[in-house]
Amino acid sequence: MDESVPGSEGFEALRQKSIAAAEAVIREASSRPDLHLVQAIQALDDTDKYLNVTATRASEWYGLHFPELTQMVQDNVALCKIISEVGAREAVTAENLGGRGFTEKKVQAVIEARDRSKGGAISEGDLGRVRALASLAIQLNVLRGGLNDYVEAQMKKVAPNVAEVAGATIGARLMAKAGGLDRLAVLPASTIQILGAEKALFRSLRTGAKPPKHGILFQHQAVHTAPKWQRGKIARTLANKIAIAARVDYYRGSEDASIKAGLDKRLESIKERYKEPPKRKPEQRDRPRRDARPKRDKFRRR
Amino acid sequence: MSSLLREERMGRTVLLTRNLSPGKKVYGEELVLRQGAEYRVWDPFRSKLAAAIIKGMPADVIREGSKVLYLGASTGTTASHVSDLVGAGGLVVGVEFAPRVAREFVEHVARERGNVLPFVADARDPSKYSVAAADVVYCDIAQPDQTEIALLNCERMLRKGGALLLVVKSQSIDVLKEPERVYLEEKAKLEKAGFRVKGMYELSPFEKHHALIYATR
Repeated sequence: MDESVPGSEGFEALRQKSIAAAEAVIREASSRPDLHLVQAIQALDDTDKYLNVTATRASEWYGLHFPELTQMVQDNVALCKIISEVGAREAVTAENLGGRGFTEKKVQAVIEARDRSKGGAISEGDLGRVRALASLAIQLNVLRGGLNDYVEAQMKKVAPNVAEVAGATIGARLMAKAGGLDRLAVLPASTIQILGAEKALFRSLRTGAKPPKHGILFQHQAVHTAPKWQRGKIARTLANKIAIAARVDYYRGSEDASIKAGLDKRLESIKERYKEPPKRKPEQRDRPRRDARPKRDKFRRR
Repeated sequence: MSSLLREERMGRTVLLTRNLSPGKKVYGEELVLRQGAEYRVWDPFRSKLAAAIIKGMPADVIREGSKVLYLGASTGTTASHVSDLVGAGGLVVGVEFAPRVAREFVEHVARERGNVLPFVADARDPSKYSVAAADVVYCDIAQPDQTEIALLNCERMLRKGGALLLVVKSQSIDVLKEPERVYLEEKAKLEKAGFRVKGMYELSPFEKHHALIYATR
């Protein structure tokens, strides 16, 4: 392939071919829908963070002026809407609080709080900045909603079985961690189970501390709503089914309702079988379990 | 006029390579004029090959006219300096698997330099690229079986008497073992495959848990 000498005409032609071929591979890889989905879920998670930070700041700042309102309206976005649309405390009325899903009683309480508020005065300049912040939070919330819908819709197209078993956003996050659907499809279920818990995993390997039971999968409602002693088993089952689902999505590309059905059945039987917390053996109560004790010296560096 | 210069700056060794595409930077490095030619500053904190040379590796393993098979070209930071070192009469065959970083390698390095041949391919499958009788195989890939991959490539493409420069990434091979132990194990693998290990350079403080092994066959 490289009979020609660098610098010669023949070599230059070969080099141009090689560059074109490399660019074709790159172009092909860059148009994969799963990679776009990975960017979308990361954008969604980023937006979540910005939204939180922005809304919290708006709430804190506005709280100097009308702390009672920030206490009474727990939902940050709803609060930001009032800040942005109504503005100063004095402008808050029963009318402009209407249509926001507040009860009559709550509106009354806000009005009362307005009249005996412990908040200080706020200048036009300050209020303008707070309202701008609040309206940014509202826009971020709209962006977030759009991204969320998009991730759901795309997951149904790109990885319908993973979406069905893991849920769209969790499935997308797993895909992002793995680096694409192709990578997720070749990961062992045991790795999928602890994706996102790398820190705990390596701590466990290094020191002998207890290994993590779940990473991203903890966000799945079947895991975090279950009692503690069931979570490991549920996470393991879930990871198994996600591994199968990812493989079906990547290699076969058709929906298969039996995966979800199998998962539901298995979850039922775990809940049935491990209803009660495991009983500790009496002699284990006093001394720390062997695997919980760090074996520092054995693996520590230097 | 050498393609590699060594200078002392404030008690530190600074490496410079003669810029094969004058006036152009690859990754924001400093350009300087020496002996009427433009050189690029070669940062040992960003390039493990530069770190190894500062830590004592002979600088003439890769020289003007060398044919180099470069596995794990990444964005092409080190590859661009290798391209400088071998000069217009040399050859760098750069192999990179990940499309995202290969994009920068092709754009900033392969397109700009007449001695670089890029391949977006898996180094586990050397049939997808080729270089007859390379003088040097440079391997910097983060895989647990990186040494086996390097040996596979050497078998096919490294000429007799040629050199293998293997960057041992101990954390990619085994996070639990002492890095020093990993280095020795990988070194033993090379010797078993018939290589003569000429030197091993631990890359701290430039890079943690990395060593570069220089071996010939």
